[in-house]
Amino acid sequence: MTAYREVVVRTPLALKVLPVVSVATFFIAWEIIVRTGVVPDTMLAAPSTVTQLLFDKFTNVDPDGALLHQHAWISIQEAFGGYFLALAVGLPLGLAMGWFNVAEGLARPIFEIIRPIPPVAWIPLTIFWFGIGLPGKIFIIWLGGLVPCVINAYVGVKMTNPTLIQMARTYGASDWQIFRQLCIPSALPMVFGALQIALACCWTNLVAAELLAADAGLGFMITMGRRLAMPEMVVLGMFMVGLTGAFIGVIIDKVEKRLLAGIRR
Amino acid sequence: MQDAARPRTKIEVCNLTKRFGELLVLNDISFSVAEGEFVAIVGPTGCGKTTFLNALSCLLPASAGQILIDGTPADPKRHNISYVFQEPTCLPWRTVRENVAYGMEVKGRPQREIDERMDNILELVGLTQCANLYPNQISASMQQRIAVSRAFAVDPDLLLMDEPYGQLDVKLRFYLEDELVNLWRKLKSTVLFITHNIEEAVYVAERILVLSNKPTRIKAEVKVDLPRPRDFMDPEFVRIREHVTDLIRWW
Repeated sequence: MTAYREVVVRTPLALKVLPVVSVATFFIAWEIIVRTGVVPDTMLAAPSTVTQLLFDKFTNVDPDGALLHQHAWISIQEAFGGYFLALAVGLPLGLAMGWFNVAEGLARPIFEIIRPIPPVAWIPLTIFWFGIGLPGKIFIIWLGGLVPCVINAYVGVKMTNPTLIQMARTYGASDWQIFRQLCIPSALPMVFGALQIALACCWTNLVAAELLAADAGLGFMITMGRRLAMPEMVVLGMFMVGLTGAFIGVIIDKVEKRLLAGIRR
Repeated sequence: MQDAARPRTKIEVCNLTKRFGELLVLNDISFSVAEGEFVAIVGPTGCGKTTFLNALSCLLPASAGQILIDGTPADPKRHNISYVFQEPTCLPWRTVRENVAYGMEVKGRPQREIDERMDNILELVGLTQCANLYPNQISASMQQRIAVSRAFAVDPDLLLMDEPYGQLDVKLRFYLEDELVNLWRKLKSTVLFITHNIEEAVYVAERILVLSNKPTRIKAEVKVDLPRPRDFMDPEFVRIREHVTDLIRWW
């Protein structure tokens, strides 16, 4: 019998080089378009201008009232507060709805009614209830992140291979054992998908919430940029939202690869 | 190895009937299996072989009749029933070893016993080398051997197999069938083996039950009293094989 051993698979060269090329081209083209006046600088800021503002905003509170990392920190708190609450409620709810008829019967109709309402539509009520502080924004972000968590976890459990369930049943496994040992691991790839999707939803809603009701945060910075006619501030705010989101996405991806060894190659 | 004085009855199936609405699939089936016996079940395609196994494993409630194991009604929680399915049923997030241990874990056996038995079984089926690999790193036939090992590991009162080697090539089949017979002789389990391959049935079983077309009943019973390892060119082997083939053909 041949020996079994682990094999290291190398990343193809194209996937190493091309991302760098693509990002560099993108920024250079952008810089040229603005510098040459194809797009006037009252409508879009060049990357160099944005970079200048980036360094400036670390020490200068004007004109929007806070330093860049203070805005970012407030946004991160809001986003992660809502995000983790969404995971904590949405994933167990979705998993349970996928396996236990009682959970599905009770929660499904209410969920289906709440699901199509965009989180932004909750903003007026939220302001009545919580004002414009942190809890209100966390609530909006939570609503946005909840939906993908529930749906993905639910679908993930429903996709459990029925033969595996039969196999467990013949060994005398209880409903709870099957749920814990088969359904949850089966749903994990979908759950990790939910982590990414929910995060995207949370960031999106974060900006929406801050645009409408805030006195600090990256979304607020974008709004201020508009009010003060400073496209570089708008771009900087957008860029920070994108960068932070991508960074968290990478972390989730790493965790996923480690936890899901065997399910995905 | 099975001597003339047959051991006591292990499984008793009494008037087993299964209907899906109007459709009568299993028609009043009764038979018994002795402790440690290896019985093969053959029948024409679509005769309800899988329904038959599903009823025996209690996955499907029977419409009438009952299945007794050691004189008490079969219950997956109380009895050790194992079922090897046609398709591979490895849990992709568990290593080979953890997969083989799964049945014992469900049954809440102590960890020390699991470890001991695991070493023994993995050694028997030659899976020791790949014990720490995940199912997607090994071949399909290996995955099926995991399912067979997992089934034997719980020391089953009744081991049901539904064409476990149906999708493998002929050479590998003979190899795995030898391995199966070997496991069965060493671990002394009671095995019910379903197949549509008559040669396979004659090769592994001590007794063959031939099923009729739907509504299914047991049409005939054929004893296979050949020495092991069996030779499928042996005239007696061929005679039994042809006899069973005729039984299936002439309904």
